[in-house]
Amino acid sequence: MDIDDILREVDPASHGIPLETRDLQALTRLWVAERSAPELLNWPADGLFERVNSKIKSQIEKIEDMTGDMDPKTNFALIVIQTELERYKFLVRSYLRTRIAKIDKHTLHYLSTEELRQRLSPTELAYATRHQALLHNHYLSSFLSSFPQRLQNLNDTAGNVSMIDSPDLDTAVFVRLLREKDVFGRGTDSDTILPAANGDVLIMRWSSAKALVENGDAELV
Amino acid sequence: MYGDLGIKLVQHAKRTQNLAHLPPYQAELVRAVTREVRDLNKDVDDLLEPFQGSFDPAEDQAVAYTLLVNHISMRRNKRCLLAYHRTRTDKLEELVWNGADVIDLSGQQVRDGGASGSKGVASGDGSTSSLSPQEEDYVRQYGDLLAAYKGQWTDIDLTGSLEPPRDLFIDVRVLKDAGEIQTEYGAITLTKNSQFYVRQGDVERLIAQGYLQKLS
Repeated sequence: MDIDDILREVDPASHGIPLETRDLQALTRLWVAERSAPELLNWPADGLFERVNSKIKSQIEKIEDMTGDMDPKTNFALIVIQTELERYKFLVRSYLRTRIAKIDKHTLHYLSTEELRQRLSPTELAYATRHQALLHNHYLSSFLSSFPQRLQNLNDTAGNVSMIDSPDLDTAVFVRLLREKDVFGRGTDSDTILPAANGDVLIMRWSSAKALVENGDAELV
Repeated sequence: MYGDLGIKLVQHAKRTQNLAHLPPYQAELVRAVTREVRDLNKDVDDLLEPFQGSFDPAEDQAVAYTLLVNHISMRRNKRCLLAYHRTRTDKLEELVWNGADVIDLSGQQVRDGGASGSKGVASGDGSTSSLSPQEEDYVRQYGDLLAAYKGQWTDIDLTGSLEPPRDLFIDVRVLKDAGEIQTEYGAITLTKNSQFYVRQGDVERLIAQGYLQKLS
């Protein structure tokens, strides 16, 4: 047992909260962050979605079991569970759709480097690769094949303009600080360092906020 | 003039963005722009031919400028074509996500031609006839791809509503006869103009397809 374990036991925030609730919180956070960040964020690696999926499955089974019962009491419970299930499903759906929308918008960008590919889940990666191949094929059969050979690429960087569009990392985002910290923000005219307290909400460029969010110093709102 | 045709394509694309349906594919324009690119490329080759690969831009500035203009025009045309096709495929993908079926759409098209004017405003009206054969192929393949991706998330129904669910049950009015559907509370027969209080998850598809209307 090290110091972290002791702290965790004392800390009321993480003590006594069942895994299910923490998963739901994690999912909600991921969803909020994904919706406000201009670029694709990392796919959660700790098996969160496997757990979420199995939870949804078991709830569906439960509902199927309960529908046979005509008792008004179960009926009420059924409605509560179904409502909750619909909301849970909405969260997952909205999260996945947001990611797919981002991937579709800048497919080549996310496929271009190994580091960016790591952010996608295996299924998303398969989807993106296939989608890009489809698009390329479509361009080829529609007009590109009758182009001169040297103009057929989709990733030219001639004239210092890359054909690969990438997300604008300087978009403004709102972040909430999770601990006290001096926040460094890049500005148009000059950069600033702002001392901020826990719970402060700041608006700043995503490029500056990214490190804070990744270190857990702040969360997107 | 170089690029005149390209800008027309871009204007078409821009217009497409604001339309609910997909306007006809500009096959003629696309061909013309592609031809322009080929002609320009031929010009470039012809111009460079006498130099046998030892062309020095500083020595022969007039030729160098011609080459530059040709080259830039070609690239611009390519961009215009890409933009045009991308806008259309985006639109098509949106239709696929909304559950429009190519086969369905073409079926609708045939009916439309036969008995003109006897139909309502369903989504994606007349888009099939305005697709190029390549686009039809694309839609079909994208539909397969989407189905494959959705297969990983069977319980979620990815193409479902993106509105946060508020109530489990909603009031719906039937716009078109949809036959009988099975729900957990038994079968409901959906006849035109009738009104029901049903579970949202059961009828989401039918709302998207335009059979039912949600009443608020």
